[in-house]
Amino acid sequence: MSNEASRAERIKEVMDEIGMGNNGDISINEILSLAQTMSQSLAGVYRAVDASVQREFREIASYIEVMKSDIAGLQANDLKQTHLPTAGKELDAVVEATEEATNTIMECAEAIMCADATDHDEYKALVDDQIMKIFEACSFQDITGQRITKVVETLTMIDERVTRFAQKFKVQDAEGHVTEEEAARAQRKKDLILEGPQQKGEGVSQDDVDNMFSAA
Amino acid sequence: MAIDTAMPILVVDDYKTMIRIIRNLLKQLGFNDVDEATDGTEALQKLRAKQYGLVISDWNMEPMTGYELLRQVRGDDRLCSMPFIMITAESKTENVVAAKKAGVNNYIVKPFNAQTLKSKIDAVFGV
Repeated sequence: MSNEASRAERIKEVMDEIGMGNNGDISINEILSLAQTMSQSLAGVYRAVDASVQREFREIASYIEVMKSDIAGLQANDLKQTHLPTAGKELDAVVEATEEATNTIMECAEAIMCADATDHDEYKALVDDQIMKIFEACSFQDITGQRITKVVETLTMIDERVTRFAQKFKVQDAEGHVTEEEAARAQRKKDLILEGPQQKGEGVSQDDVDNMFSAA
Repeated sequence: MAIDTAMPILVVDDYKTMIRIIRNLLKQLGFNDVDEATDGTEALQKLRAKQYGLVISDWNMEPMTGYELLRQVRGDDRLCSMPFIMITAESKTENVVAAKKAGVNNYIVKPFNAQTLKSKIDAVFGV
C-alpha cells in the first residue's frame, strides 16, 4: 500500500470512530496524528495550487508590465502638456486670423459701398486702394493652411497611438457616456438637433429646403 | 404688395461677423433699421421691449438656441405671429422639419447669398 493510500485509510478509520461517537477513545496523539496526516495529504495539493497560482500571477505581472510600457508609449503627458495646447493655440490663431481678414475685407467693402462716386478719379483711387487691401487680407489663407496642417498632424499622431493601444489590448468601448457632463451635452445636442455644418454632399441643399416649404 | 423697408429687423447670431454680413446685405436691400442679439435669451428680451417686423436668427447659439427662441416666440401671445427666418449651417432634414413644425416662415442654409436672402424675405411677406 502506498503512503498516500495508507494515510487515506488511517483518516477514514479515525473519521469512522468519530462518526460512531467513540470520541472518548481517541487520544490527543491520535488527533495530532490525524492533523499531521491530513496536512501531509494536502501538501501536494497546496504545492500544485501554489505553482499554478504563481504561474498565473507571473503572467498577470508580465501583462501589467507590458501594459505599463504601452501606456507609457501613449506619452499622454507629452500630448497633454505639449501637443494638445499647441494644437489649441494654432486653432485659436486660425480663428483670429480669419476673423481679422474677414473684418478687413468687410471694412473695404463697406468703404466702397458708402463711397461718393460723383468724382470718378477720386472714386477709382479709393476702389483701387480698397481692392489692394482685400488682396493683402486674403494672404491669411496660406498661413492658416499651415497652422491647420500642424493640428491635423497632432490628431493623426493621437489617432495612431490610441489605435495601436486599443488594438494590442483588444479594448472594448464602454457603453454610454463616460461622465454626466458628456451625457448632458449629448442629450442637449439631441434635443435641440445641434449637428453643426454637414460635409459637402451631406445634409440638405437650399433647393431641398425650398421644396420642403413649397410642399406645404 | 411692397415690403415696408422701414420696419425694424432683429438679427440674432453669436458670430459678430455674420451679423455684420447680414446687416450689410439688408442695407443693400434697403433695410436700415437693424438691431442685433447674440443669443435667444437676449433676442427674446429685445422682442418683448420693441416692435419688430422680422426676426432673422441663427440656430446654434448658447445658452438659448434659435430653435428654442422660435418656440418661445410662437408660444408667446404677443409675438406668435412674428415673421421668423432661420439662417443656419444646421442642414439636416430633421432640422428643417423641426423648424417648420415649430412655425418658422422660411429657412436659409449657410453659406447663402444676397439673392437667397431677398427671395426668402419676399416670400415671407408674400411679394
